[in-house]
Amino acid sequence: MVHRTISHLLSNYGMAIVLLLLCIYYSWATLQKQELWPEEAADAVSRKVSGTEAKPLPLVVAGTSTNEANFVEFLRMKTWVGRIEHDPPSTRAALVQMIAAGNPPAVIVCSEESAKWLPSVLASIPTLANTPLITPGSYLWPTFLQKDNLLNVANQIVVIAVIAVGMTMVIITGGIDLSVGSLVALSAVVTGLLIRDHAGGAAAGTMALLVCSIAGILAAGLVGAFSGAMITFFRVPPFIATLGMMQVASGLAYIFSAGQSIYDIPQSFTALSRNGILILVIAYLVVHVIMSRTKLGRYIYAVGGNSEAARLSGVRVGAILMTVYIVSGMVAGLGGVILASQLKSSSPTYGQAYELYVIAAVVVGGASLSGGQGRILGTLIGALIMAVIQNGMNLTGVESYRQKVVLGLVILGAVLLDTLKKRPWKLPRWLHPVDSSKPIKESNAPIS
Amino acid sequence: MRPSRNWLLLPLIFSLALASCDRDKNKTASTDKPKPLIGVSLLTLTNPFFKEMGDAMRAQGEKRGYEVVITSGEFDPAKQKDQVKDFLVRKASAIILTPCDSKSIGTAIIEANTAGVPVFTADIASIAPGAKVVCHAATDNYEGGKVAGRAMVELLNGKGKVAILDHPEVESVLMRTKGFGEEVAKAPGIQIVARLPGGGARDRSFAAAQDILQGHSDLDAIFAINDPSALGAIAAIEKAAKTGRIKVIGFDGQPEAKQAVKDGKMYATVLQHPQQIATATIEAIAKYMSGEQVPPQNLIPTALYRQADAQKDPALK
Repeated sequence: MVHRTISHLLSNYGMAIVLLLLCIYYSWATLQKQELWPEEAADAVSRKVSGTEAKPLPLVVAGTSTNEANFVEFLRMKTWVGRIEHDPPSTRAALVQMIAAGNPPAVIVCSEESAKWLPSVLASIPTLANTPLITPGSYLWPTFLQKDNLLNVANQIVVIAVIAVGMTMVIITGGIDLSVGSLVALSAVVTGLLIRDHAGGAAAGTMALLVCSIAGILAAGLVGAFSGAMITFFRVPPFIATLGMMQVASGLAYIFSAGQSIYDIPQSFTALSRNGILILVIAYLVVHVIMSRTKLGRYIYAVGGNSEAARLSGVRVGAILMTVYIVSGMVAGLGGVILASQLKSSSPTYGQAYELYVIAAVVVGGASLSGGQGRILGTLIGALIMAVIQNGMNLTGVESYRQKVVLGLVILGAVLLDTLKKRPWKLPRWLHPVDSSKPIKESNAPIS
Repeated sequence: MRPSRNWLLLPLIFSLALASCDRDKNKTASTDKPKPLIGVSLLTLTNPFFKEMGDAMRAQGEKRGYEVVITSGEFDPAKQKDQVKDFLVRKASAIILTPCDSKSIGTAIIEANTAGVPVFTADIASIAPGAKVVCHAATDNYEGGKVAGRAMVELLNGKGKVAILDHPEVESVLMRTKGFGEEVAKAPGIQIVARLPGGGARDRSFAAAQDILQGHSDLDAIFAINDPSALGAIAAIEKAAKTGRIKVIGFDGQPEAKQAVKDGKMYATVLQHPQQIATATIEAIAKYMSGEQVPPQNLIPTALYRQADAQKDPALK
């Protein structure tokens, strides 16, 4: 009974559990000392400073990030602060100058960031060997679970995950779309070129940026429509039709951009990528509702399950296929625009091999390549699994050759899980539990 | 129906992810005195030049007490940006980049700048506006291109038809072809008849070189912007049975190319010194960390490597 519940749980939420286990594992593997919040750090330091006889005011050495700047601000409020320095060369110069003036610092306060290099600066100045160094201290917490890192994981997967929305729909109809990687490049290039040549480059306004982005997305949608037409009207297999369009789109991206990257793009364009997670959530919610609550969604499943049966029951199979490939092209275009916004430039080299990552995310998420099966939220989990593994491997310092092997094995493992889910598989004979009530039949055959 | 046993697979999948991490567990879990981390993201690890440079960075860095993590963007600027962000989360002390795209790398470097992590570039420079790089160490590609150009003029006695296997997406290659072009232009008898992209990779250069040979049956020589492209070109020339008739000059000095020079399949290659680039970069980091001034650019000179040099080279068969 318990067993049955577990296997029910696993077949429905197997991938979610894998994701959870991965998160737990990487949390454990990245347990490290973390810096205190700026205010706490300043508190800790000011307590330590007031304990010493700091007659010339302490020299504070802190980095330039926002956290470090806040640390210095809080410290100013709490205690007397002397000179402040930010990077190794200026710190060294300041120290040398203070010593030359006969006024070496009695105490040096360092931040989490400067603690990494301050000792080596001090080591190169012998007279300062005994100067007390005050550090803010730290606490133990997984790097993986830090807010910055979780945002990282989400942001890193936005482009792949958004494209995977369209790919899931295509795969549910029993097709495949290999052109998405090239469409990323095409839409990024079209958007970038329009911004540079027609919207005033780095001075472009918000409205113009929006129009250029939509044009990029529509360009990709147009290519998607072309693939869809080849598949619907001329019965070209989806694999071949989209393989062709993959080359066409990539070539167009190179032609339009003359093989160069385009970087006359305003800073305000990056606002789009800062809201990447919002776009991701909206895309998944909308398509989830479409796929599970609307007629269109039912038809898409029906076409993938059995297109002939769907046709006979009055579904316009051609129209459904066209819709699906256009949507796939457009979300790939959206992915390209987001990528251009993330990198504040666009280049025809973007999106190489993305189709493979996207297909992998969809398949890991439980969609079947033979069509008719798959869930949008499953794809989201699939994409997250890929992102977590990639990020976790980067955090734990796995070299890139091994990363490829692991990612490949994860995809295989997921598909294996999916196949075996459908049929209960038996243990090999020799692993079966022995029924002790029956004696093992002895063989009379001679052993040769 | 028997209860399904697919739960047995969970440990399998899970162990895949773990399999690769056991080595580093001790490193990250031991918290008392972590080594300062240098994060490296190279252009690719499929080209021996970068592999050699990365290995040298690791060796030099570890010798100086750093932990060095080598990754590569594999020509994908988005992937490279993700790697930089992961280094920032890991609180790296310094980041070394060989940008996949000299312009698109800007946003990643700016993020490192705002996080206060110093960025160093090796081999390929960033030309993105507003992105601060402490020090760039690279081959003097412009001068190297001139070396190749002078060798070409000498080889052809100032007269002939030349093709270039190009890879114009990369800044360092632009410098090479610029230097090459300037030297070759001094000999009015030399004509550059074709300029096709070979992606800096052997397979694509093989295809591009075949097309060049088809289109220009009277071609005299090919300048390939790196050794993998040169080796691709040599394969195409061999296939067309024109070995010796069409000369090739490469750029890098990888072992396989040196061997080709010795065997007479390639006229010459311009030697780069990836290990010196790595050493210069790690030295710049150590200097910067101890508060010394670091020059913004560190150009490593090249040298021409011809058959006479190859015959004296003890590393070759």
